Amino acid sequence: MSTSDQALQPAARAAGWLRSLRGPAAFAYLLLAPAVLTLAVVVLYPVMTAVDISFRRVEIYSPSTARGPLTLANYVRLFEAPAFWQATRVSIAYVIISISFALLIGFGTALLLNHRFRGRTLARTLAVLPWAVPPVVAVNVWWWILDPSYGLLNWILLQLGVIAQPVNWITQTGPALASVSLVTIWKGYPFFTVMLLAGLQAIPQDLYDAVAVDGAGRVGTFRHITLPALRGVLSLATLLSVLWVFREFTIIWVLTGGGPIRATETLAIMTYREAFANFRMGFAAAIGMVTLVISIVASIFFIRQAGKEFY
Amino acid sequence: MNVRAPHVLSRALLYAAVVVVVGTLFFPVYWMFNTSLAPQDQLYVYPPKFIHPNATFAAYAKIFRERPIARWLANSFVVVVLTCGFSLAISVLAGYSLSRFRVRGAGGLGYLMLASRMLPTTLLVIPLFVFMSSLKLIDSLWSVVIANVTFILPFATWMLKGYFDSIPRELEEAAYIDGTSRLGALIRVTLPLAAPGVAATMLYSAILAWDEYLFARTFLNTTSAWTITVGLGSFRGEYITFWNEVMAASLVGTLPIIVIFLLLEKQLVGGLTAGAVK
Repeated sequence: MSTSDQALQPAARAAGWLRSLRGPAAFAYLLLAPAVLTLAVVVLYPVMTAVDISFRRVEIYSPSTARGPLTLANYVRLFEAPAFWQATRVSIAYVIISISFALLIGFGTALLLNHRFRGRTLARTLAVLPWAVPPVVAVNVWWWILDPSYGLLNWILLQLGVIAQPVNWITQTGPALASVSLVTIWKGYPFFTVMLLAGLQAIPQDLYDAVAVDGAGRVGTFRHITLPALRGVLSLATLLSVLWVFREFTIIWVLTGGGPIRATETLAIMTYREAFANFRMGFAAAIGMVTLVISIVASIFFIRQAGKEFY
Repeated sequence: MNVRAPHVLSRALLYAAVVVVVGTLFFPVYWMFNTSLAPQDQLYVYPPKFIHPNATFAAYAKIFRERPIARWLANSFVVVVLTCGFSLAISVLAGYSLSRFRVRGAGGLGYLMLASRMLPTTLLVIPLFVFMSSLKLIDSLWSVVIANVTFILPFATWMLKGYFDSIPRELEEAAYIDGTSRLGALIRVTLPLAAPGVAATMLYSAILAWDEYLFARTFLNTTSAWTITVGLGSFRGEYITFWNEVMAASLVGTLPIIVIFLLLEKQLVGGLTAGAVK
């Protein structure tokens, strides 16, 4: 009796779902259909193909070539390749350097631009503008500022006595990573500024009035009101920025191409180079899949840590 | 924290801080403009000149003469219009549906949005390149349009959902009582109210599509098929760098973005934080 009831349950549920298709739910699905279908064709199907390629021995893949058997060869080769571990280290260093500075600058500018003053709208627009500047343009501008012979940065540092000799920013291993991070920070801080400004505006004035009555100072107000209220926004902004920097291609590719001697080759750059410079698409897809898995695992870990403060 | 600084001194300090901080952060954009006006003989000199007394637009004339900049700009324009037109038409419907109806499967869409931000673009471009090749779309702007939809569509849907959330549904319900169909209510009641949000989403999507480099660089091989960002990325690796020309071309490629950005001024915060801050 009870078993047949259980067997009937999915059928009953399906029937209920079908019935709900008349009325508002049908309309809702109808409106969603074009978006879902489009994403299935342009994202889901390509991703499934990429998964498949990563398990095949393929150099230049095309839909007409006969596929070999499934194999783990790409992944085995990947974990044995020193270049992969090097790229992983570079990715982590690049993300940590870029995000920490972008967060500090973004937080600072948000606090500053939250004050009321004449010309605030203009100041906000100018401060946030780098977000919209095309990455290629950002690279060109900084490439000129970082120019070893006539660039502005070396001139300033020489004047200040910070350096005795001009630095070859882009062609030396250490400075090259600093250079790509610098451009990334400049492109990335406005996102923190805007998110935190929105977060600051959402804090009710009553809270500040209340602690002012209690005689809290600036630091106390910041620690006990502002910071806790911004936790959710800060976590989300950090997560989204980390995911963006981890996948970043244009800034590194145009500025250094991943060089010199792989000093700025992140996993994203390595994926692209293997696919389109060395024409090893199976191997490249395997790197990309590992990158994706790292992103997902890191995000889950991060969301657990940050609590259920978003979505 | 809208603190009213009480003293004249702290006002002055505030202004000084704003000028120094915003000035420093904005400086690279000024430096691009300044260098683009430099005469050729002023490029390779120390100390650098912060204002050029003999400013000239010669570099602009030269880049338009010697490189197909106009063609690249036109290509980018076509890509942006097609990408945004297609993405917005679809995402308006999807965003409205997500905002108004709680249907099965829609709840997971928030996480799907997050997942789409995890997908490495350098991975996605591999199968897309394979498909574009077999569809003979290499060197066609359509390849870039299709690829751009992969990230513009989720972005626009999410942003529009936020805008629809802010429009009270009572207005639609009143229209239903008057006998308007669901679609009729969406088109005649909700969409006109959401017009500013749709416009802002359109402008943000346009910025993202204009800035795109990876897909365009991979799918467009012939120089005349390039978008402006591919053209601007091609200055690296040339034997001699004429900085005034690189900066002039870069500024020309940024101007449309600056115009859009100024149009967005009032909705600056709303757009970037769509769906993130409640």
